[in-house]
Amino acid sequence: MGFSEKIRSGKFVITAEISPPKGTDTEMMLKDASFIKDVVDAVNITDNQRAVMRMSPLVACCILGQEGYETIMHLTCRDRNRLALQSELLGACALGINNILVMSGDHPAKGDHEGAKPVYDMDSVQLLGLIQKLNRGYDFSGNRLESRTDLCAGAVANMETNELALIKLKKKIKMGARFIQTQAVFDAGSFSMFVAEISDIGFRRSRIIAGIIPLKSEKSARFLNKNIAGIKIPEDIIHKMQTARNPKVAGMEIAAGLIEELRDMCGGIHIMPIGNHENTKAILEMAGII
Amino acid sequence: MIISRQKKFREILRNLKEQNIFIIGCGKCATRLHVGGEPEVLEMEKGLKRAGKTIAGWTVLSSACSIPSWKEVLSQNPAIRESDALLVMSCGTGVAAISRFADIVYPALDTESLGGFSSDEIMEEQCNMCGECTVWMYGGICPIAQCAKGLLNGPCGGAVEGKCELDERPCAWDAIYEKLKKLGKLEYLEIIHEPRNHAKKLRGK
Ligand code: SF4
Ligand code: SF4
Repeated sequence: MGFSEKIRSGKFVITAEISPPKGTDTEMMLKDASFIKDVVDAVNITDNQRAVMRMSPLVACCILGQEGYETIMHLTCRDRNRLALQSELLGACALGINNILVMSGDHPAKGDHEGAKPVYDMDSVQLLGLIQKLNRGYDFSGNRLESRTDLCAGAVANMETNELALIKLKKKIKMGARFIQTQAVFDAGSFSMFVAEISDIGFRRSRIIAGIIPLKSEKSARFLNKNIAGIKIPEDIIHKMQTARNPKVAGMEIAAGLIEELRDMCGGIHIMPIGNHENTKAILEMAGII
Repeated sequence: MIISRQKKFREILRNLKEQNIFIIGCGKCATRLHVGGEPEVLEMEKGLKRAGKTIAGWTVLSSACSIPSWKEVLSQNPAIRESDALLVMSCGTGVAAISRFADIVYPALDTESLGGFSSDEIMEEQCNMCGECTVWMYGGICPIAQCAKGLLNGPCGGAVEGKCELDERPCAWDAIYEKLKKLGKLEYLEIIHEPRNHAKKLRGK
């Protein structure tokens, strides 16, 4: 059963994130993927994440697809206008890449090409609406396509339960987001509040995929807290990292513990190790989900 | 009001190959912002002289962007004809207006955005001149101009402690939310906005 059928039928999904290479050699990317080959339902491929230029996610998804992986292609609004977005989506579909995760994308000034023109011709709500149109067989301007797409689009959310963030999330759901992937969760309590809020606006909790970042050190925890929007690591977790004899193992244990706690509150989990997937399988085993 | 700032003096000097220069200031925005009024023009004259240039003369036009008659400007400033080049201390539109009549024109300012001046405070980047104003839906705070990504349907989620992910400025969407809340018009936030029609603002029409 593929990722989109699992989402549709409410089966628990496991996904994991990989960055395309910053270069032409895909060996490292394939090695990273090989760690999780039979463990995850789909591999997310980031799109110039944090506005740092890398290989096209479309191409990376295609290469991984040839190796038998199911992928979820990230698509940001930062780098492409409405024509380029549509071309990319038609191309993805023709290559059998049907899962798309839509987001605005970090501002170029945050990345390694500070002076790049920020495009943002569409925002994530509008892009989701566009995908619905393509799925019905029409382009943005209403011209009929020679053949329609069959895209399963999802969106991202921070676990903020403030009114403004929820209104935007509601719009994403209205415009056809089939799944919602959250920013990394470190506190099951606030996650359950978030799930309750979005269930209230009519979104099935089985379609919420909880983000997990295995921590590596106290320092990296503090860095995430300070610099990444939507991540809030509670002091007791930071303390655990600080006092651990082996921080790496402690980070894995914390991640596994969170997965166990979140398991019944959502429809899946998404692992984002910064760097590689060496330990992903072990974490999932510790959590008892594989 | 058009917001502009002065170029670095050495940058102006680097471009300015000609010897005999006439300086033109602007009596409107550039004067207000203290980047192209009389004191700044005199300062520029001093600087250029120190750098070895000859100054044919100077003037501050009442507004550089709307010149009713170039003939009149010339009759009041005959030294323009003797100069090798004009250095214009106004926004880009002023430079463009003057360039229609004069041959060699250099800008002394960098034009940044469309802003305003309200109770002694300079307001930068208030409007992007999109060609179809919908700012009422956002409580008068334009997300096209004031959100770093120009997002129309709500915030990107990148703000950290209320600050835009781009830099120190506050997230525009927080301000929009607060304003609409105050006005009792939070329902405006529920409107799903289509992507902008950029054809409304054609270049080079
Ligand atoms: S919507 Fe914004 S950019 Fe467009 S005209 Fe109004 S204020 Fe200017
Ligand atoms: S943080 Fe706020 S102002 Fe900055 S880009 Fe995001 S939504 Fe726009």
